[in-house]
Amino acid sequence: MPLLDIGYRKWEGQKTPRSTRSLALASTGIHLVWKGTWLKRVLMFMAIPALIAGIFVAIFEQTLDRDGPRALLSIVAKNPQSRNTAERAGVNLKEAIANPEAYRHFTWSFILFNLSRYPQALGMIVVLGLVAPRLISYDLRSRGYLLYLSRPLTPAEYIFGKSLVLYFLIFVMSALPALLIYIAGLFLSTDSTAIAQTWDIPFRILLASLVLMVPTTAVALAFSSMTQESRYAGFAWFAMWVVGSVTYFTLWTATQLREQLQNQSQNQGRIARIEAMNPWNSFKLFSPYETLGYLQQQIFGLAVKDTWTWAPWIVVAMVSVAGYGFAYWKVSRVLKA
Amino acid sequence: MSFQEIAFDKVFELESVRKSYGSKQVLKNISLAIPTGVVGLLGPNGSGKSTLIKTILGLVSIDPRRGDSGTGKVLGFDWPSQVRIVRDHVGYLPEDDCYLQGLQGIESIQMMARLSGLHKKEALRRSHEVADYCDLGQERYRNVETYSTGMRQKLKFAQALVHDPQWIILDEPTTGLDPQQREQFLDRIYALANEQGKSILLSTHILHDVIQTCDHVVIMAAGQIRLVDSLEHLQRPSQEGLQISVVSNAAKLGDALRAHGIQSHCASDSQLVVLGDESALLERIWKTSVEQHVIVLRIEQAKNSLEQAFLDAVRS
Repeated sequence: MPLLDIGYRKWEGQKTPRSTRSLALASTGIHLVWKGTWLKRVLMFMAIPALIAGIFVAIFEQTLDRDGPRALLSIVAKNPQSRNTAERAGVNLKEAIANPEAYRHFTWSFILFNLSRYPQALGMIVVLGLVAPRLISYDLRSRGYLLYLSRPLTPAEYIFGKSLVLYFLIFVMSALPALLIYIAGLFLSTDSTAIAQTWDIPFRILLASLVLMVPTTAVALAFSSMTQESRYAGFAWFAMWVVGSVTYFTLWTATQLREQLQNQSQNQGRIARIEAMNPWNSFKLFSPYETLGYLQQQIFGLAVKDTWTWAPWIVVAMVSVAGYGFAYWKVSRVLKA
Repeated sequence: MSFQEIAFDKVFELESVRKSYGSKQVLKNISLAIPTGVVGLLGPNGSGKSTLIKTILGLVSIDPRRGDSGTGKVLGFDWPSQVRIVRDHVGYLPEDDCYLQGLQGIESIQMMARLSGLHKKEALRRSHEVADYCDLGQERYRNVETYSTGMRQKLKFAQALVHDPQWIILDEPTTGLDPQQREQFLDRIYALANEQGKSILLSTHILHDVIQTCDHVVIMAAGQIRLVDSLEHLQRPSQEGLQISVVSNAAKLGDALRAHGIQSHCASDSQLVVLGDESALLERIWKTSVEQHVIVLRIEQAKNSLEQAFLDAVRS
């Protein structure tokens, strides 16, 4: 028996509003994820491409009066695919090389889009594949939902809280480095018109990040809510990206081969390949990576204007609604058991 | 939102609660009101105790399309429409083995505190306070998935108390506790009710726990309420008498007492119940026990056993 036991003590104090309780769920989730040293390593590794992109912006701004951007744009012009992207997006590279200041917006957007489209998007797939599968499946396995839902928390708020964990990670991975590069670019610019020329880029960065956040989080949570075994959810997540990309490239390559056979000309076939990579084609809907990449291309103003389409927006919106709907149904179903 | 004590004389009053799992009706038209204080919810396994608790908390939904129904008031709030507000004032210790994977004990108490509206720093301070009260010791810094069953019960108790609820629902709280921990746990329940004025619903099938802590008893069986009464009333014998504990040979003593015209019956070789006025009986019992060489250990006023009341209610 204790020598002194002051026993139970009452608690009186101010409570937070009920509508903000899911933030507690989110912050604890982030804290839990942040405990993993591997996540910090992946994020540090992902800072390397951001640093390289920042160096490109710095070179562009610091060498504007020393022909640096001309050299940079000349490199872009030499690559047929980049040249094609630029020209189909309404950028005249010859004009740009002659007057690079006028093409600051295009250059920055091009660098930030490529950062977001390739290293950051691939990093996001890896990080979400390691973090997201546990979010709901662990609660299903350990019956943690009984503890959460015995508090003033609805299933929708529970899912929102879990989503915020992934939103935070995606923001840190994709939007934050791009925004830092943008701010660094403004500070490095010797041209006072830089802000006026590029004011919309932060909004494009945020929108591009949002386009990654919402559908990927919805799908990741749907997978996580399907099973008590997080490894199955993780497998489904990676399989979705791999199978989607393989399907897209298989269908696209088959189409190109058919066209090449019809044209009976290797040269024409090569041109057709270059053109088909950039504009929209409906095969991209098979690949989440290609579809999201195309949306980001549109957001940064780099999409081929003559093939602009709402189709990927509609599909991504439908997938988002379906993903969240499924996760909600699974979580609220435990209350109906 | 400021912390408020709510005034109520009945913890809950439910009317015509029906709940089915598929085709099986688990709660069959239950109407029940329970007073403040400690109430024991008794019933055999599968009688619907846990479902009733989960229904009150909205952890299983009332779906009219499947024939579910029910109205009422819980802690003075409309039920089930205001179940979310109700949850803010209730501390719930689930029967199920549930925990928040990956968190330390103290973090998981803090998490529950924050979900109940405590600010982050205050939640941590309060978590340590209840962890001390629940005797979690340094184990609070260990990950919860490494806890033993007994530790998890203590953790769930701390989580239930962290926001200082007015009504505490304990669903099989002493499962997995060793005898010493169990006694301490029951002492805490008693203290919370009698010193802090908390209302407690103790769902269990261990009758001893109910006798030790509860004021009222609700007995459920087959999805129905079979009995609601105060423990004192339940244990009051229908006839005045004495209960005698002896070392052995209770039957021998009983026969001798009957020879003197005293009504008696043996409950076992060491237990005997004699009926009649206490003052008139005592002298005769002493004399007879000496004559028959039967060693008396204890004499007390006869009580009805809760076990018998439970069995009668379940079989009815």
